Amino acid sequence: MSPVFPMLTVLTMFYYICLRRRARTAPRGEMMNSHRTVEPHSRTSPLNAEVIQYAKEVVDFSSHYGSENSMSYTMWNLAGVPNVFPSSGDFTQTAVFRTYGTWWDQCPSASVPFKRTPPNFQSQDYVELAFEQQVYPTAVHVLETYHPGAVIRILACSANPYSPSPPAEVRWETLWSERPTKVNGSQARQFKPCIKQIHFPTNLIRLEVNSSLLDYYTELDAVVLHGMKDKPGLSLKTSLIDMNDLEDDDYEEKDGCGMDTLNKKFSSTALRDRPSNGYFDKLPYELIQLILNHLTLPDLCRLAQTCKLLNQHCCDPLQYLHLNLQPYWAKLNDTSLEFLQARCTLVQWLNLSWTGNRGFISVAGFSRFLKVCGSELVRLELSCSHFLNETCLEIISEMCPNLQDLNLSSCDKLPPQAFNHVAKLCGLKRLVLYRTKVEQTALLSILNFCSELQHLSLGSCVMIEDYDVIASMIGAKCKKLRTLDLWRCKNITENGIAELASGCPLLEELDLGWCPTLQSSTGCFARLARQLPNLQKLFLTANRSVCDTDIEELAGNCTRLRQLDILGTRMVSPASLRKLLESCKDLSLLDVSFCSQIDNRAVLELNVSFPKVFIKKSFTQ
Amino acid sequence: MFSVLSYGRLVARAVLGGLSQTDPRAGGGGSGSGSGDYGLVTAGCGFGKDFRKGLLKKGACYGDDACFVARHRSADVLGVADGVGGWRDYGVDPSQFSGTLMRTCERLVKEGRFVPSNPIGILTTSYCELLQNKVPLLGSSTACIVVLDRTSHRLHTANLGDSGFLVVRGGEVVHRSDEQQHYFNTPFQLSIAPPEAEGVVLSDSPDAADSTSFDVQLGDIILTATDGLFDNMPDYMILQELKKLKNSNYESIQQTARSIAEQAHELAYDPNYMSPFAQFACDNGLNVRGGKPDDITVLLSIVAEYTD
Repeated sequence: MSPVFPMLTVLTMFYYICLRRRARTAPRGEMMNSHRTVEPHSRTSPLNAEVIQYAKEVVDFSSHYGSENSMSYTMWNLAGVPNVFPSSGDFTQTAVFRTYGTWWDQCPSASVPFKRTPPNFQSQDYVELAFEQQVYPTAVHVLETYHPGAVIRILACSANPYSPSPPAEVRWETLWSERPTKVNGSQARQFKPCIKQIHFPTNLIRLEVNSSLLDYYTELDAVVLHGMKDKPGLSLKTSLIDMNDLEDDDYEEKDGCGMDTLNKKFSSTALRDRPSNGYFDKLPYELIQLILNHLTLPDLCRLAQTCKLLNQHCCDPLQYLHLNLQPYWAKLNDTSLEFLQARCTLVQWLNLSWTGNRGFISVAGFSRFLKVCGSELVRLELSCSHFLNETCLEIISEMCPNLQDLNLSSCDKLPPQAFNHVAKLCGLKRLVLYRTKVEQTALLSILNFCSELQHLSLGSCVMIEDYDVIASMIGAKCKKLRTLDLWRCKNITENGIAELASGCPLLEELDLGWCPTLQSSTGCFARLARQLPNLQKLFLTANRSVCDTDIEELAGNCTRLRQLDILGTRMVSPASLRKLLESCKDLSLLDVSFCSQIDNRAVLELNVSFPKVFIKKSFTQ
Repeated sequence: MFSVLSYGRLVARAVLGGLSQTDPRAGGGGSGSGSGDYGLVTAGCGFGKDFRKGLLKKGACYGDDACFVARHRSADVLGVADGVGGWRDYGVDPSQFSGTLMRTCERLVKEGRFVPSNPIGILTTSYCELLQNKVPLLGSSTACIVVLDRTSHRLHTANLGDSGFLVVRGGEVVHRSDEQQHYFNTPFQLSIAPPEAEGVVLSDSPDAADSTSFDVQLGDIILTATDGLFDNMPDYMILQELKKLKNSNYESIQQTARSIAEQAHELAYDPNYMSPFAQFACDNGLNVRGGKPDDITVLLSIVAEYTD
């Protein structure tokens, strides 16, 4: 008996070893359907284990210029090796965001910014990239190929998007950040900011951009992550201490302060000397409120800890009429919401864009918050809030009867049936459904009930089958419509345009970019011009049929025109543009990129005669 | 007693587990290739019609023809496109369309946005991507895509127009593509027309392409070419040249491809030679003789074992 057992033990060990080896050589699953991942391109230098990687996959982003499922001008081009760099120019193989400059802030559909936005938060768009290996980053290089200078912040996340189990703790750390600065010219550059050292390995990098100083769309080709596999020792060079980072680290405290413990602290200390407080407390209540209006949210929370009087002021719900939580997306979680709940019962404008991803906010936490704070809500921004699901929209429709402004931009994970609840918000004046999966029936229902709509964005809504039916419904029901975004609405025809033009005479802004099914020969653009005299912004981007007649009709009828985009048409001549510029005195943006009859010389001549107009002419080489 | 039984079960599992590890496929460790994966060793050559030194852009253009060769983990893909020259009369450069089409196909393959068993999908997606370009592309071309699925050893093809491919095994043609013509000298073509001419310009949908799938063996020779080759060289001449192919390394394939292309190029300018094109014309009542000057693009591939 006894010699058998050691032998058996050896054999079982052999079994477990073989099991482990089989697991290691098991084939990785075929990644045929993840067609956006690219072979990771990594080099390892043997001496000091520095790893250089291109991005493996684009995990999330807020907007892009290209079409869903395309590889032209879409964010997915940011993964993998560069396709264009070091050439400069407007190429299809790059990643392009949807907007640039301040043009979208100047058009009728621009939304008013929130109060209390901290001045160091200026990010307009973001993109998150996953890399193959987790490293301690030493450098992040961004290869920009056209109009560089948009990147203003780089962050790293401690979570590994490829690990099967959800991470215990998710931390975002800012590697680098700077105010938007003007970069002259449109030439390609390799952007190499100095990043700070962090204490956790990462393979998830986030870039935040601000394009307001750019002359045209910025285009990014690739992102390179340099890092060490092992934690580097004490480095000889001191890491740059960014003033903004000190701010960031302090944000954590705001969700940890409880009133009870503070009260105990204050009551236990006896104040021997009563120092003079400058008679601050003699000021009228309203004046103190006015002063505190100028503080940012974290400062308000810190001030609440100083004394009872200021605590009373800082917890006054009137301080929280506008609540902008987007700048704090990296730290905002259920606990924060719960903490703020008591103060936010009167909140009217709430911005939760970009927040809550990777498990920070749960459906239950959001629902709780909305149940307490939703009754007075007038404006709700939920762009890129991927924690939302159908239940959340149901709660919104029940708890926010006064809602007038709802932004669900890029919430592409929301199931189509969630949008059925939006129709219950009959007071809606502004609705943004850019890049969502809303379907035809839900949208028709929304249009039927929300007759107060003034601003509607249906850009890149790919699940809508027939845009003519949608346009017809808009023309019938949404008589007050002032702005309409139909960017990339693939099958709208002249019939839909006719219904729109006759049904919504108040239209001031119409984006029909990349709608290939509209043909100028049907007279649809001429009809638009004649029936919409209030037009201030008209985008006919990449509609190859726009011709001189259309421009002349616009010149004759739409004298208030401010922004016009006719990219890519061969049939518009400089002469008709001259007529347009003479007639439309307010025109400030004219995009004639890739219009074959308008060469650079024609643009220069027009600029001489009309110096206030920004005439954009992009190029590929 | 009871514990001996449970130990015994453990032992049996260990022994059987160990035995199954002696599978020769898995023995190599995670290198991934192993025997059984096929690949294509491809070389290309061509001549533009007007002796122009065509700018050799990525994927190579010969005159108005274009081609590409791309490699992906799951498949090897190649394709040719023959730009329709008639656009030149309207001020449009015909090589722009075919070149952009082939480069887009190449990019699609490299990024894995395709399914090996659906080559028509590659054409469709590529054509749609052309429409997403800010630059207003105009023109038309034929297209022929050949995909070798590494693991299933099947060749999937899609052919729209009069370019095509031959598969040669043991000195004989075992598969060939069919020409798609609307009428004489007017092949099926993908096109993007200016808006005023839509409806007037011939434009075939990518779905109209012929698609075939069949098994291939190691050593099979695949010749993909535009009509510049097939209209000037009959099968027996091509087979003669292919017989000279000794082995499957790149240099010899390159040499054979070049000799085929050169021969076709010479024959094209021979006024007395009865080319297949002239023969076909005569069969249709047109009394012509001689070669057919045209852009010639030849991609020659051999099915071999895939090495990374």
